[in-house]
Amino acid sequence: MMRIRSSLTGLALVAALLPLPAQALEIFACEPEWAALAQALAPEARISSATHAYQDPHYIEARPSLIARLRRADLAICSGASLEAGWLPALQQRAANPKVQPGRAGMLFAAEHVETIDQLDHVPFGAGDVHPEGNPHLHLDPERIRQVAAVLSERLGRADPEQAAQYRAAYLRWSLSWQQRMDKWRERAEPLRGRTLVVQHSTFDYFWRWLGLEVVADLEPKPGVPPTPGHLASLVEDVKAKQPLAIVHSWYQDPQSAQWLAQKTGLPVLALPSTTAPEQGIEQLDQLFDHLLAQLLEQVDAG
Amino acid sequence: MKSTLLRTLSLAVFVAGTAQAELSAPDISLTIDAYHKSTDTALGGRTEGWGLSHTELALKQQFGNLMSGKLTAVMEANEEETDFSIEEAYLQTLSLPAGMTLRGGRFLSDIGYLNGQHPHADSFVERPLLYRAFLGGHYYDDGLGLSLVMPTDLYWRISAEAFDGDQLSETDSGRTVGTWALSTSLGGDLSDSQSWQAGFSYLRNRTLEAGEHDEHDHHDHHDHEEEGHGHSHGAEYTGKHMYLADLVWKWAPQGNNRNQQLTLSAEYARVTDPNEYASSQEYHEGWYGSAVYRFAPQWSAGLRHGRIDVQMGHDDHFHEGALEETAVMLAWNPSHTQTLRLQYTHQNVLQDWDDTFDAAADDVLTLQYIISFGAHDAHSF
Repeated sequence: MMRIRSSLTGLALVAALLPLPAQALEIFACEPEWAALAQALAPEARISSATHAYQDPHYIEARPSLIARLRRADLAICSGASLEAGWLPALQQRAANPKVQPGRAGMLFAAEHVETIDQLDHVPFGAGDVHPEGNPHLHLDPERIRQVAAVLSERLGRADPEQAAQYRAAYLRWSLSWQQRMDKWRERAEPLRGRTLVVQHSTFDYFWRWLGLEVVADLEPKPGVPPTPGHLASLVEDVKAKQPLAIVHSWYQDPQSAQWLAQKTGLPVLALPSTTAPEQGIEQLDQLFDHLLAQLLEQVDAG
Repeated sequence: MKSTLLRTLSLAVFVAGTAQAELSAPDISLTIDAYHKSTDTALGGRTEGWGLSHTELALKQQFGNLMSGKLTAVMEANEEETDFSIEEAYLQTLSLPAGMTLRGGRFLSDIGYLNGQHPHADSFVERPLLYRAFLGGHYYDDGLGLSLVMPTDLYWRISAEAFDGDQLSETDSGRTVGTWALSTSLGGDLSDSQSWQAGFSYLRNRTLEAGEHDEHDHHDHHDHEEEGHGHSHGAEYTGKHMYLADLVWKWAPQGNNRNQQLTLSAEYARVTDPNEYASSQEYHEGWYGSAVYRFAPQWSAGLRHGRIDVQMGHDDHFHEGALEETAVMLAWNPSHTQTLRLQYTHQNVLQDWDDTFDAAADDVLTLQYIISFGAHDAHSF
């Protein structure tokens, strides 16, 4: 029995080390939202996301498994604007895959193809974790998603020219239904216009702008710097006076700070996914926006 | 040694000239590592008192899609001396097929787990004993290296490197290939929250055979008298063959290492044939095990224990030496560019000869502050 088990383990190890047979297009997405978008535009491709909704995408380690995945990729899609600056360059260097080196057609940074918000001419020392390229969380704007989809569709065609026509057709179909969805979301979001929120980090800024919501306070004293007791205490009076809709934090963030402020102010805490989460039933990008809207509208109804 | 470096630099300039159309501005970074150490330690990289250790200015330039180059100048200063060195000056390909990367110039060898990592990313103020004893802290040299990442599900890297060996022996061995190394590492995820990496390396040191007749006598213990004072890049204890095995395991809840992460790592080294009188029973040996726990986004604590067993050559025979070191540290990262670390180190001499481990200290406190400016390297696993 022992011998069978050990030889099986041996076989599994050999299988894991054998080069994989050439198959469908391999797509490496830095974040789940880009994996979901690639899934919509190239359903036949083998797609994997380097991160999930419970991970802070700023702090990912260049793990061996990620190097192995990038090594096999035909196309990589990431947010850019330095969001992945702490780990993607290490992956690119170690994966030794010419297709996804910076500047190649196989390396797509979304932020290079849409206008980002909050760009800076220069970053003053001590400004926190901010980058001159602006806010990288652009996938939470449905309009910008559409712009990125157009570029991704073109890159898919370049990586896999034989299927270029299919990718183009898939994009046109997707784009049409996305436009209809955007119109519906705008309509549904009407009660949210002009409302205010307390947030933790600038993760949802694009979404708030698109909906016409305003941020009145950030639990982070500086972008990327975890909330401090002193900073939180300084927010209490102001937040009480402004009576925002809720205190919002991402799934991957520690809820402690939001809960503390909620206790002091009587406001509700809203934990939202900042990206798609297939294991939690949010597989597609439209499901993500449906979910976010429903959660916010629930707060309006409750208030 | 110098000629290789010059050749590398002139090559870099040449490539820079031909590829100017695609050149972007180079990434420049400065890392300052300031410390205060209460007492000298045996084989200690840092000396007593105030000092700067491994303060580096690095220039990184990508030449189109073809290659990238890096130049790292390092300054170390303590109350007795100031030392400048070039630790990295290499060009590396970006466009070779089949997962290959070719490096040429002066660079850190791929052997072991810690060797290829930059010291300011370390969790403790000094490298483990085995690195300080057998590799001069970290091993870099002038040469060529080819590495290969296999297209497998599991991460699998194989590297072959050839160096002139001058940095390890601290002499000009006169050989074209003074050292060569083969290394491999494997790694993957065990679950959403656990990942691992294991490696095995072999380093062949041919510099010991060069000019054996007139240089042999200088390889004995008398070289060690200056240890703890003069700044040394070379290895204290060498041998013809070095074998290194490393294992790393990391855990973070749901793979989110922002708030919490546990890192366990261990390495083992054996260096055989210290000289021609050594029998197969006479070899150097060392190991360490380390546990580092980040318990809050800005705070981490760690414990490391290690030991070396060495053969100290004395004419045609050996005297055994054994040294243990335990370190406990607490680190605070107020931002991702700064680290403030307090470390307590305890050394224990188990066996000594001719006061080689005279500098060993019972209680050592080190306070370290690291700050970096500009584009800094992404940290590896």
